[in-house]
Amino acid sequence: MSSKSQAAQAGQALWAKMPKANAELFALTYGSLVTELVRDYEDPIEVNAQLDRIGHSIGVRCVDEFLSKADVAGMGLTTQCQNLRDTAEVVAKMGFKMFLGIQAEVGAFSQDQRCFSIYLQDNPLSTFVELPEDDPSGGEDLRRLKYSNLYCGVIRGALEQVNLKVDCNIVRDTLKGDELNEIRVELKEVLADGAGDDYKEE
Amino acid sequence: MTVHAFHIFDRKGKTLFTKRYSSAVKNQPVQDVELLSEQRKLIFGMLFSLRELVGSLTPEGESPALQSVKTGAGTLHCYETISGLRIALYTNNNPNMGSTARNLDTSKTSFQNALKHIYSELWVDCVVRSPLYRPGDIQVDGHGNDVGRFDIRSTNFEKKLDAYLASMPWFR
Repeated sequence: MSSKSQAAQAGQALWAKMPKANAELFALTYGSLVTELVRDYEDPIEVNAQLDRIGHSIGVRCVDEFLSKADVAGMGLTTQCQNLRDTAEVVAKMGFKMFLGIQAEVGAFSQDQRCFSIYLQDNPLSTFVELPEDDPSGGEDLRRLKYSNLYCGVIRGALEQVNLKVDCNIVRDTLKGDELNEIRVELKEVLADGAGDDYKEE
Repeated sequence: MTVHAFHIFDRKGKTLFTKRYSSAVKNQPVQDVELLSEQRKLIFGMLFSLRELVGSLTPEGESPALQSVKTGAGTLHCYETISGLRIALYTNNNPNMGSTARNLDTSKTSFQNALKHIYSELWVDCVVRSPLYRPGDIQVDGHGNDVGRFDIRSTNFEKKLDAYLASMPWFR
């Protein structure tokens, strides 16, 4: 599809313009953040929730930067995404490419076109990372930790700013032995553009 | 061509930033805050309603976007992002572009470009990237009594905005 390759090219061009950081620094910083969270909260489910919240804050900021860069570069974002499929393409091909420099694929669209998956071959956050084996003495089960849950929060936060309420989950994770990372995104509802509390009728 | 005022609204209608550039402002007593805030709500309401209208009037396939609203007294130029941020610039009506042969389209696009530039270079760079920024929690007038809310004055957005607008040929 021409829009697919357009998005991919646009993503490539945007990535070229972004300032770069050291990938190892990035991965290690994230790793120490997760380690601290695990130490503080001890329950992997709680850590997942915290990572999602952090990701949400990040996503809310990223979306403005993404929209402004893509718009200025004339990458055809002036016409909005017509459906969820376009949105998925833009998020994967342009968003992930622009901020992380990785190639992400979309697929597994559901029948009603409300769910899709994003596949990441390599995950820059999980370089050098190994999850410990199950602890037979019954300590916290770190296999339940979703290490890359930050991505879920980012996608959720970013799409929320464009009126799409979504739920994201990590379905497959290379840290747990799968061959690639899969994030499942489900559209919950399309929010209406309303005026806020200041404008309520008295 | 003078710029009278500049506003930025978020998706919910909260005013994120506002500034008046009027040479007559020294002659006026300080206007009541309520009055100014009412005016801003009216501007937002107008932009919101017009956007709905434009959306329903636009033929299929074209992108609906409100560019400017022109009245006898002045023109309100607006730019809206997909994330719902609305930037509005209120100027008076005489485009003085230095060359009378320019047609109106060029003057309109240069406003759109200017607003786009303000969004991408100034807003994103200064405000969104500031570690204190929290969407939906921005204090405007500086005399609210909640501590800990992000104040745009803690960034150099305003200075950069003034410098940018002053560098525009149509700003006096």
